[in-house]
Amino acid sequence: MPVGELPLVLFTLLTQMSVGSFVALGAVHVLARRRYPAATVDRLSDPALYAIGPVMVAALAVSLLHLGNPVNLLNVLNNLGSSWLSREILLGCAFTALGAAFALCQWRRWLTPGVRQAVAAVTAVVGLVFVWASAQVYLIPTVPAWDTWTTPVAFLATTFLLGCLAVGAAFVVAASVRTRRAAAQGARPEAEAEVDAMLRSSLRGIGLTAIAVLAVELLVLPAWLLGLANDGSPAATAAAAALTAGGWLHLRLVLAVLGGGVLALFLYRAAAAGGRRLLLVTAGSAFVLVLVAETVGRVQFFESYARIGI
Amino acid sequence: MAQQLGFWIDQQYCTGCKACQVACKDKHDLPLGVTWRRVVEYSGGSWSTDPAAGTFAPNVFTYYTSISCNHCDDPICVAVCPTTAMHKGADGIVSVDPAKCVGCRFCEWACPYSAPQFDPTAGVMTKCDLCADELAEGRDPACVAACPSRVLHYGEIADLRAEHGDRADVAPLPDPSITRPNLVITPHRHAEPTDAGTGTITNPEEI
Repeated sequence: MPVGELPLVLFTLLTQMSVGSFVALGAVHVLARRRYPAATVDRLSDPALYAIGPVMVAALAVSLLHLGNPVNLLNVLNNLGSSWLSREILLGCAFTALGAAFALCQWRRWLTPGVRQAVAAVTAVVGLVFVWASAQVYLIPTVPAWDTWTTPVAFLATTFLLGCLAVGAAFVVAASVRTRRAAAQGARPEAEAEVDAMLRSSLRGIGLTAIAVLAVELLVLPAWLLGLANDGSPAATAAAAALTAGGWLHLRLVLAVLGGGVLALFLYRAAAAGGRRLLLVTAGSAFVLVLVAETVGRVQFFESYARIGI
Repeated sequence: MAQQLGFWIDQQYCTGCKACQVACKDKHDLPLGVTWRRVVEYSGGSWSTDPAAGTFAPNVFTYYTSISCNHCDDPICVAVCPTTAMHKGADGIVSVDPAKCVGCRFCEWACPYSAPQFDPTAGVMTKCDLCADELAEGRDPACVAACPSRVLHYGEIADLRAEHGDRADVAPLPDPSITRPNLVITPHRHAEPTDAGTGTITNPEEI
C-alpha cells in the first residue's frame, strides 16, 4: 500500500480524533454533571483534555510536510472567499486556539464553571465545523471518488469513533495511574469510588456510541463503493480498482468490526463489574484496533484519488 | 489588449508529432517530469459484422489532442488555490505566482487538463502562461510557432469560435461545462464524445 499522502493521512486522522475527543469529553462532562459535583467530574476528564492539545498541534505541524514551499505558509489564508483549504486551515487554527484557551482556564480554574462550559461548547461547534470543512476540501468535482456525500459522513464518523474510543482509552490509563499513585501515597481507595463509578458509566456510553458509529461506517462504505462501481467513468473505475487491490479493504473492515464492534460491546458489558485491568486492556485495545482500521481506511481514501480528463 | 485568449486545434490534421510539446519544454527550460503541453494519443475500436458476406471488419481509430492550459473561464485551479498564487490576469491568461505559491498541489488535484504541474526542486507549481513574454514582443507562443502542420493556433477566443465553432467536448477531454475552457477543437473525423468511454489513452506515461 503506497503512502504518498502520509502527511495528509496523519493530519486528517489526528485532527478528527482531537475534535472527536473534545466533543466526547464534553458529552461525558455534561452527562456526568447531572449526578456528580464539578470537582469529581474534572478529576476524570481533565487529564484527557490536556492530551488533546499536543495531538492537535502535532497534526498541524505534520500537515506542513505536505507543502512544497512552506516559506509562503502565511499566504494560505488569502483565499477564504473561494478555497475550502483556506477555510479548513482557519477553522483548524480557531479550534486549536479556543481549545487551548479552554484548557488553560480549566487548569488555572479561571472564570466561572458556567463561562468555561460556554467556551467549551463554542470550541466543540468550531471543531465540528472544521471537520466538515476538511471534507469540503475533497469534494472536487473532477475527482469522482471524493466528490460524494460519503466523504463528509465518513469524516464525521471517523471523528466520533476515534474520539470516543480515544477518550475511553485516556480514561482507563489515567485511572490506573491515579490508582497507583494513591496506593503509593497510602490514600484511602474509597475516595476514588465516585470517580470509579463515573468512569464505568462513561465506558458503557463509549461502548454503545462506538457500536452506533461503526454501524454508520458499515452503511457508508458499501454506498461509496457501489457509487464508484456504477459511475462508469475511467476515473471512478480506477478508484474502485485501487480500493479493492491487495486486501486492505478487508483488513480495515475486520479491524473496525473487532475494535469498534466486538471489543466495544465487551467494554459495555465489562464496564459494569469488570476489574480495572480488564477495562484497561479492553478499552486500550479497542482504541488501537480502530486507530489502525481508520488509518488503513484513510490511506485508501487518498489512494482512491483519480481525476477525470487527462 | 485581448479580452480572452484561447487555443484552436484542428484535430483532423494533427499528426501527433509533438513538436509543440518539445518547443514548449525547450522555450521554458522545463525540468524532467514537468511538461506544460502534452499530446494525448487516444485509440479505440470495434468490429462490424456483415452477415450477408459472413465477414468481420475492424473499425479502429486513433487521434491526437495537444493540450496545455486552456485559460478557463471557470478555472478550478484558481477557485481551490488557498494562496491566490493561481490567478487569472490580463488577456484572460491563468498563471501562477511562485512568490505566493505554498506548493500544496491542490490545483494539480483539481485541474482536469493536468495544466498546473509541480516543480519538485523549486517546491512550487508551474504552468503555461501562454508565453506572455513572446506575446508582449508580438510573437506567437512557442507551441503555435513550432507546429509544422499548422493545426495549433491561438487568438481571441470569440474570433476563434466565430470562425471554427465551439467544440471542446472530445474524448478524452473532460466535459467542458466543468471549467469552461477557452479551447476550440475541430474534431477528428473519428473523434468520440467526451463521455463515450470507447477508447483509451495510449501514452499515459507522457501525459
